[in-house]
Amino acid sequence: MNEEKEVTEETPPLVLEKLQEKFADALLADAEIGNGVVVVVDREHSYALLEYLKTELAYSFLVDVTAVDNSNLESELMQYDYARFMVVYHLYTFEGETHRIRVKVPVHEKDLRVPSVTTLWRGANWLERETYDMFGIDFEGHPDLRRILMPDDFEGHPLRKDYPLRGRGERESFNFEKQNV
Amino acid sequence: MGLAKTHIQSGSSTEQTDGNIITTTIDKVVNWGRKNSLWPMPFGTACCAIEMMATLASKFDLSRFGSEAIRFSPRQSDLLIVSGRISIKMMPVLKRIYDQMPEPKWVISMGACASCGGVFDTYTLIQGVDQFLPVDVYIPGCPPRPEDLIDAVMQVQRQIQKGELPKGSEVAYHE
Repeated sequence: MNEEKEVTEETPPLVLEKLQEKFADALLADAEIGNGVVVVVDREHSYALLEYLKTELAYSFLVDVTAVDNSNLESELMQYDYARFMVVYHLYTFEGETHRIRVKVPVHEKDLRVPSVTTLWRGANWLERETYDMFGIDFEGHPDLRRILMPDDFEGHPLRKDYPLRGRGERESFNFEKQNV
Repeated sequence: MGLAKTHIQSGSSTEQTDGNIITTTIDKVVNWGRKNSLWPMPFGTACCAIEMMATLASKFDLSRFGSEAIRFSPRQSDLLIVSGRISIKMMPVLKRIYDQMPEPKWVISMGACASCGGVFDTYTLIQGVDQFLPVDVYIPGCPPRPEDLIDAVMQVQRQIQKGELPKGSEVAYHE
């Protein structure tokens, strides 16, 4: 019994094998973390990979869409050809052994585009709006890409590392009489 | 509260009225009624609102001070309790709610966040609601205990009984 268990722990999760097989050219990196899997995929194949995960491998639950600004981390930047941002999708499945998978998509600052996954998960709508609001990443094909947390006339994207913590004077100079409420 | 028992010694009705007539001024009676029937408008955006709920519930029981009639419409209330963080996007909403309240109206700024931004010294948070609202009583604490909120309500009651105008109307008169 114990021997069998050790063997299963050493073999890579099935989902990772399937992804490596199907997206051999597109995968930039992959790893196992805990009882989950992390894959880094290029932007051109991200939609196809997420669709494959959802339809074929039963990762039907989109937990979160967010992004990371790596501009202060030289080592992270070097890894993916100085792509400043990393869009991160967290998926969950209710079946099998490997319940969680994290899909990362490096995005360059000069070309902030990622295909929207609202056609796969309708719940991605607000998550992508939040990521757009906080990081300024353009989700192509999104039905209604506008700010969700900050006021409509806000300038800048506050979760970027070059945005000052105390803002650029918005909280002192905000003109609430002009706001349409 | 400025009441005085008056002896009236005239005519045959002395026995009936002696000691039973109270004289005062209309302002004092109105203020006495006002202070004991404050209708709060809760504006809870954070954990201070939990303490505010505890204050209203049976254990601390704000109704002992006549303030249990919580109104969720600003048009029916005269005490605004701002309990929680106010972001720059929330500010116009709160300002509008305050404007909709009928005069006279009082404002309690409950907790560190509403009073000065608290620990949230960030791009989106108003560093104190007194930048756009006339606050009558500030409550320190993060969050303040229910007793602190009761104390603030009593502070408002004392101001009303003394005949002091709320900060809001003072601003309006000066302008």
